[in-house]
Parts: sequence; C-alpha cells; structure tokens
Amino acid sequence: MDDILPCDEMIDHAGHIRAPWRPVLDVMMSLGTAELGARKAALDRQARFNAPFGAIAPGRYDPLPVPLTEFEFAGLEASVRQRATLLGALVEDIYDRQTLLDDGTVSPDLVFPNPGFLRSLRNGSPLASPRLGLYGVDVIRLPEGGFQIVADHTGAVPGLGHALAIRRFAAGVLPELFRGVTLMSQRPAVDSWQDYLHGLAGYRPVAVLASPPGTVAGGDPVDCALLARAIGAMLLEPGDLAVRGGLVQLKTLGGLVPVPVLIRRLTGQHIDPLEMGGKPGGGISGLLGALRAHRLIMLNAPGSAIVEAPGFAALLPHLARQILGQELMLGYGPADGRESRVPLAGIDRRANGLDHAPLTMRLFAWHDGHGWQVLPGGLGFARLPDGGMLMKDIWVMEASEPRQITGARAAEPPPRSNSLAAIGLPSRVADNLFWLGRAVERLEWAARLMMLALPRLTSGTSLPREAAELGLLGRCLAHAKLIPRELGGKFSSGRLLRSALARRRRLGSLAAEVARLLTASSERLSPSMLATVESSLETTRAAIALDEETAVPSVLGFAACFAGIAAENMSRGGGWLFLEMGRRLERAENASESLAILLDGPEERLQPGLGLGIALADSVLSYELSYAGVIAPAPVLDMLIADASNPRGLYFQCAALYDVLQRLDAVDDALEAKRLMEEARSMGARLPLPGQDSLPLRLTVLADRLRGLSDQIERRFFTLLPVAHQMDEDEQASLDMPKVLAAWESKRA
Amino acid sequence: MKYRLTHRTLYHYAHHVGIGLHFMHLLPRARPGQLVHAATLVILPKPADRVDEQDHFGNRTSLIAQMSAHKSLDVVLHAEIEVSLPRAPEPEASMAWEETSKAAFRAPEAAEFRYPSALASPDEAIALYAAQHFPPGQPIMVGLLSLMAGIHADMAYRPGVTAVSTTAIEALKTRAGVCQDYAHLMIACLRALDLPARYVSGYLRTYPPPGETARRGADQSHAWIGAWLGPHDGWVDFDPTNNLVVHDEHVTLAWGRDFGDVSPLRGVILGGGRHSLTVEVDLQPINEEESRDAAYVSGDSGI
Repeated sequence: MDDILPCDEMIDHAGHIRAPWRPVLDVMMSLGTAELGARKAALDRQARFNAPFGAIAPGRYDPLPVPLTEFEFAGLEASVRQRATLLGALVEDIYDRQTLLDDGTVSPDLVFPNPGFLRSLRNGSPLASPRLGLYGVDVIRLPEGGFQIVADHTGAVPGLGHALAIRRFAAGVLPELFRGVTLMSQRPAVDSWQDYLHGLAGYRPVAVLASPPGTVAGGDPVDCALLARAIGAMLLEPGDLAVRGGLVQLKTLGGLVPVPVLIRRLTGQHIDPLEMGGKPGGGISGLLGALRAHRLIMLNAPGSAIVEAPGFAALLPHLARQILGQELMLGYGPADGRESRVPLAGIDRRANGLDHAPLTMRLFAWHDGHGWQVLPGGLGFARLPDGGMLMKDIWVMEASEPRQITGARAAEPPPRSNSLAAIGLPSRVADNLFWLGRAVERLEWAARLMMLALPRLTSGTSLPREAAELGLLGRCLAHAKLIPRELGGKFSSGRLLRSALARRRRLGSLAAEVARLLTASSERLSPSMLATVESSLETTRAAIALDEETAVPSVLGFAACFAGIAAENMSRGGGWLFLEMGRRLERAENASESLAILLDGPEERLQPGLGLGIALADSVLSYELSYAGVIAPAPVLDMLIADASNPRGLYFQCAALYDVLQRLDAVDDALEAKRLMEEARSMGARLPLPGQDSLPLRLTVLADRLRGLSDQIERRFFTLLPVAHQMDEDEQASLDMPKVLAAWESKRA
Repeated sequence: MKYRLTHRTLYHYAHHVGIGLHFMHLLPRARPGQLVHAATLVILPKPADRVDEQDHFGNRTSLIAQMSAHKSLDVVLHAEIEVSLPRAPEPEASMAWEETSKAAFRAPEAAEFRYPSALASPDEAIALYAAQHFPPGQPIMVGLLSLMAGIHADMAYRPGVTAVSTTAIEALKTRAGVCQDYAHLMIACLRALDLPARYVSGYLRTYPPPGETARRGADQSHAWIGAWLGPHDGWVDFDPTNNLVVHDEHVTLAWGRDFGDVSPLRGVILGGGRHSLTVEVDLQPINEEESRDAAYVSGDSGI
C-alpha cells in the first residue's frame, strides 16, 4: 500500500525503517488504510463498552502502537529513574529543611510566590511516605536522534489509567499486530506496585481520589476509574471521605472504614477546606492534619506539583552532580515543533486527512519502597491539528526470543482479587442508586398516566361515565404534577387538560433527572448495562424532545429496558438492593395515592375509578382472564392492593421492601414494611364496613407511612453525608481605637 | 515587661453542632525579645482529638476535633509572657533601603516576605504611595517611620467598613479600616519596593481612658507589621495604627504573610445554624496587677 507515508518515528535518520516498526508496518501494509480506519472505529466501540462510565468519547484511542526497542527503553528507563529521584529529593528539601534554598541553589523566586507551594504541609519533618511517589514525564524523540524531556508531572499524574488499559482494548481489534511480537509485560511492574500500595495500606483499602465527574476541575474521570480498576483500588470523591479520630475514613453503609492510602487525582490547592478555605464539599477537612500526623499516605502529597515549574528543570543538571554525582542523562526543553511524526490508523477526519501526527510520549514511574520502577511502555499522544489528542500504546519490544507469550491478549489474566468486595458500599453510591430507582419509576408512572389519559382527553362526549373518568384523571395528573394543581378539579375540559399537559413538559424534566442520576451511579453499572440503558434513554429523550405525547411508548420502552437490566444483569448485592428499594417505594407511593383518588366516592359510583385503576396497573388482561371483565369492587381491590402475585399491586411492593430491608439487616424498617404488607392485605380483603375508615383515607395514611419509611431509610443509610460548612472568620483583629488613642495620648502627656 | 494574658473566644450556636473541626493560631510563639513562660489553651467541650504543631512560620497551631453534639465552643488562652523587643536602630544609621532589598533576596529568614500575598499585594497606586517615603538612598528606618506616619495620618480608624477578607488595595482606596487594614497596607507598600514585611497578630497593652477604671476583658486582639532592616538589624515591628515602633507593650501571637496565615480560629462544622461570637481579651502587666485588681469590673466585648 503506497498510501502509507514513512515518518520520523518509524524511519531513522539514515532512512531505514526502525526495527521495532517492521511487524507494525507489515500489518499496516497488509490491512490498508480503509481497514485500519475500520479497526480504529472498532477500538472506539471496544473502549466504550469496556471503560467505566461508558464515557470514552469516540476518537481518543489509536490502535497503532509506538514501538520502542528494549535498548531505547533501557536508556529512557534509567533517565526517568534518575529524574524521579532528583525531583523527589527536591520536593523533600523544599518542604523540609530547605537547604537548597538556603545555599542559593534554588532561587526564592521559584518557591515563595508559587501558588503550588503549600505552606500547610511544611512543618519541619518528612511525611510518612515520600511526597513524590508517582511520576509522569513527557518525552519527545529529537530529529537529530535521542530523546528530550518536555514536561514533568509530579502532582496528580494524568494518563496512567489509559496507559494501563489501552493495550487490552487494542489487542481485541488488531490481533494481527500482537501475533508476531514479544512485548515486555507490564504486569510484573504493576503487580509489585499494587502489592506495595496494599502493603502500605495495611491491607485496608487503597483509593483513587478524584473530583466528581462533570465538575470543572474533574480532570478525566475515565482515566481515574481505569487506574482504580487496574490496581484494585476504590474510586472515591472527597465527599465520600471524612477525617474522624485523626484518620481519613470512608463513609459506607456499614459505617466508617479507614482509607490509609490515597492516589490523588485532584489539585492539592483546596484539598483541605479547614486549613485552606473554600467549599467544604470540595475537599476533606482535616486531611492535611492526617498527612502531617503520618495517619495518611497520599500519592502524591499535595504541593508536590511545585517542581513541575520549568525553573526547577533548569536546576537538575547541577543537582544531578551534587546529589547523585552523575551527569543528567536527558535534557529538558520546549518541543518547539520538533516532535517525531507517528503514523495514525487510517486517515483521521480531525487530522485534516493526515495520516501522521506529532508525537509526545508519556512514561510513568512509581516508587515501590525500594526504588523507582518505570512502567515498560506508557502513553503516546499524537497531536491533531484541532488541538485534540489521540492516545497510543507505547510498546517495548523484547529483543531476545520470547520466553513466553507475553503479548497482551484480551484474555490476559485478571488482576488479582482486591479488597472491594470486603468493603461496604459507599453511602454516596447507595444514595444515588436509591434515587435512580425512584426517578425511573416516577418517569414510568408519569408515562402510564399519560397513556391512560391522552385518549380519554380527546373523546369529548358528554357521557357521565366519561366525565367522571375525566375528573379522576385530572386529579391524578395534578397529583403527579403533570398539570398545574388548579386544573385538577372536577370540571376541567379534556382539551384544557391536554394543552396543560403539553405545556408542562414534565416527561422531559423527569427524564433529565434520570440521566443525571444514571451518570452519578454509572460506576456501579457494568459498561454493557450502562451502554444499553443509556442508548435507550437517549432515544427516549430525543423522542420526548420532539413531542411528549408520542414519546409515551418510548418512555415505557425505556422503563422496561431498565427494569429488565436490573432484573437480569445486576447481582442482587449492595447496589441492587438500593435501586430496588427506591423503585418499590416510589411505585407503592404512587399506587396508593392514585388509588386513594380513584376510589374516592360512594360504592355505587366506584366503577370508573376501578376501571382506571386496573388500566393504570397494567392489569386489564389479567383481570379479564380472571373475572371475565365484570368490574366489581372486591376482585378489583384484591388484585390491585392485596394480590401477592401482581408486580404492580401494593402488597407486592411492600413485600419486596420487606425482603430488601431484611437483607440489609434494618430490623425496625423491615418490621414497618411487614406492617404495611398486613395493612395492604386487610384493605384488599373487603370494603370497609360503615363506621370504619374509608378506603381512600386508609390509602392516604399508607402513602404517608411509606414516606415515613423512606425518610427512615434515608436517615439510616445516608445520614453520614451531611453537608459541612465553614465558620465565618469573623474575629477581625481590631481595637476600640478612640478609647485606646485617648489613653495613649494621656499616657504620653 | 511581664504580662498575664487571657484571651477567650466563645461561640454560641443556635442549633447543636454535631461535629466540629477547628484549626487555631491561639498559642503565643516565642521570639527574640519575647519569652513565653506559660501558655495553655483550655477548650470546652473537651475535644475528642487535639494536635498542637508548629507551622511553616514557626507559629503554634492547634487542630481540634469535637465529635459530640455541642451548642457552644469556649476556647480560653491563659499565658504569661515577658516582652522586651530589641530597640530599633538609629534611623539615620540604618542601611539604605535598596541595599536591604538586595540582601533580603538571599536571607532565608526574610526572602519569603518580599512576595505579594492574597491580602497584601501591591498595585500601582500602592507602589506610588510607598515611593514617596523611600527616595533613593534613604536609610530604611527613616523610610519606615515616614511611611508609618503617613499611613497613620491618611487612614481613618473605622470599624465595620472592612472585613477580614479586605485587601491592601481596597484599604488604600477606602482610606479607612481597622488595624488589620493598616497592617496590610503598610506590608503591601514595603513589598512594592521588594522589601520584606510580615503580618504580626497579637495584643496591645491598653490604658484606661483618663478618669476611668480598667475593665477586665475589654482589651482586644491587635495586628501590626514586622519589617526586615537587613542582616544586622533583623526584624523590627511597627504599629501603623498607633504610629509607634513596637518595643514592650505588644505581645506577639503569630506572624505570616498576611492575616490569612494566622487566622486565630477557623472551623468546618456540621449543623449549628446561626452563631454568635464573644471575644474577651485581658492583658495585664503582672507587677501592677494587685493594685488594679480591686477596680475590675467584668465586661464583654463583641466586635
């Protein structure tokens, strides 16, 4: 294929193809541009289905690797080690004895005005673990040969998650590439780091601390999540953690669990609102105290990003001689457009039809207690003309004959078991799933009401039965906030209700709430589940945006899809229990409240309400089959309220709640659910006798009790998440001056 | 001069506070010319956790955690302190200010305080304001006295027009404020000239107005500045609010780049609702105490 042009990364300065590129080039030639483009699209899909949050935007990965020889890597590895050692020593000195400042090696201009210099973490002693424990470095290959460093990452090191995941994604879409090559495995390095981290944590949880997805400072949530997965760590947000008893603790359903090791993926500038100010939710109050007291290890410690400033890089040659007695192995400077070009898989649309782009390589290193280990590989960034980046895997080819097949396969052995299973569900996740369950059910309920109402709002006859139905529907719609409350009276016209329904656009806002909670809960849904549910929700939201009335079947389709996924794809453990609770509570509340409306009337005029009740519970067919369609109060009430086998009946919801609460060991709440079951059963058994409370009243009371149960559940499981606030700093230093001055003057006189 | 110091900070909350974390700069530091014979911080309710440390500036900090429900927080400092800061050099004999600025760059104890900070950074107006007091070659002490007198004359002491977050730039525009604003302005002026200046928080001995008796608890926190006069003369403190050079009537609590570094009591709390704050400060020379004791009346002083 002569449409593949040679470029610097692939061709050496003598015009020869670099050895590691041969197998890659062979595959490129045999596949051709079009097929490579298709493989690239396949990689997008692969990544989307495998990545957490399902949120990898298309076109971020390129399946063609950047192969390096073992020899090239060995040189880079030594340089990265040397640099990490020097930067680590520099950070320690700046935050401890400041000898390099005192002797003039480091200019005060580099440290004191730098907002990254966090004085709160300088208290005259080292922390429990080196401040720099994880390091990333950006390298380019120079036209004249050799490499040059263009940037250091010593704070929150971005990209490691992608670097540890991309090979697995790519192996699935370009298997040809992996057949003829032997790559240096990343597994031993990652395993030993993982062992080290879990050892540091005393086999308590290790967590990646990231900003909540969607926040401005959030960085790349997918990268954080991939990293957490790769090393068996939890993915947490500041709001999940609190300092109690001097320790940083995770708020779980089962109580507080210490988290002794955090990998920091958010800026250190506002990480402790107590000492640094800012919103309490944006950080963890007391965290710096825990770090200073050696009760927490953080990679990297806040403030370590200070040495990313280029001014420090200029000192490294001197420091290498002074500290290590060595020459600095790799120079540092801006890229100035001298990056090597690297071939892209297919012609990228965003690259203006180019098939190659300038390349920066990011290498990663971590301290494992003995020394710096460099990941054999890394992440290549091909820069597109629009400023976007394509990420590429960096390969280190083993020159020697393969001792074993080490090319990464999709079936690479899974990371060893981690401690996730032993830990309770974070309260935040349970909270989100609970409300997701409620939101989906609320959306479905609104759609069911609309489906029931819409045909009846258009008929326009004056039959008394239809007028009665209209009145009841108006009240139900108003109660569900689908129309304004004042239209829920008895005498609104169908046309009026219909236009009010169209104006309110309630389905749109309910679906938006579902989407928000889905995103918030995404870490607990598998990528395929998430992709399925999201795509169904997308279709539905598009339909809703077009026309709420015609979107109703689509909404019901989404609800069925969601319910099916929850029933068939989720394990019945922690997360599902909360989703289930939310759904059952919402459905039970909706059912009891609308039945209270539909059954509000003397017995002889209950017919229309009973009919609507059956339709709303989707039980028309069952009823016809069981009772030949003759609507009579007793069998209808039995089916809608007391029937244990009707998944839309009241008893069924209460029984489901009882099961879940029992499994969560919430004894009092389970007991209340049991009482609600009994109440539902007794309500369905017969119509109340004269002098007893009417059915609507009992249903209203039941709905109230369900809300009470919901509050109780929230208090029991989620109250570890109250919002803290800053006390005003209102002790302004001031003196009552007139008096003081008078006194001074009298003294002087 | 030897003093007995009591500084009480009392918060009352409308509702119970479930959990409270507090970070305090309330224990006085030692410094050349200031001996802290005793200093204890009594906190009620008794915190579940308390860690006393030294910060980057050498100030004493306390980090406390209140873990049980409480409706008030009472923090009382009792201290005995002896102060006699070294006398400032003869103005005309001090270094030229440009020389001080150059020397400061390489002086570990001073370099940090040359740089702007959040509340005390100069702008053009401040630089112009400062320059009039520092003609070329001016001995630094002469310039400092002139600048202090200028600020004292140009600023009006007026509580309530500024807040804890008011910057030096705003203070110069308003030309009014409290001791914190006087201090921030003077610091920013010196930094405009690349001269090191720091914010000092503490207490000032007060005298009862003529014809009145002293009221216990009527003293208050105060703030002034430290300026670096060169490797030989070191740090000298100036109180621009009162236009005087600090010697033995100021007790130092802590110092930093500006108020933000030495905020006496910060907190993040759960619950609490609205709160009210009472501060009582009492600073008495120990040898005079007996004679004045009979005349004490108890008094609150809110701010």
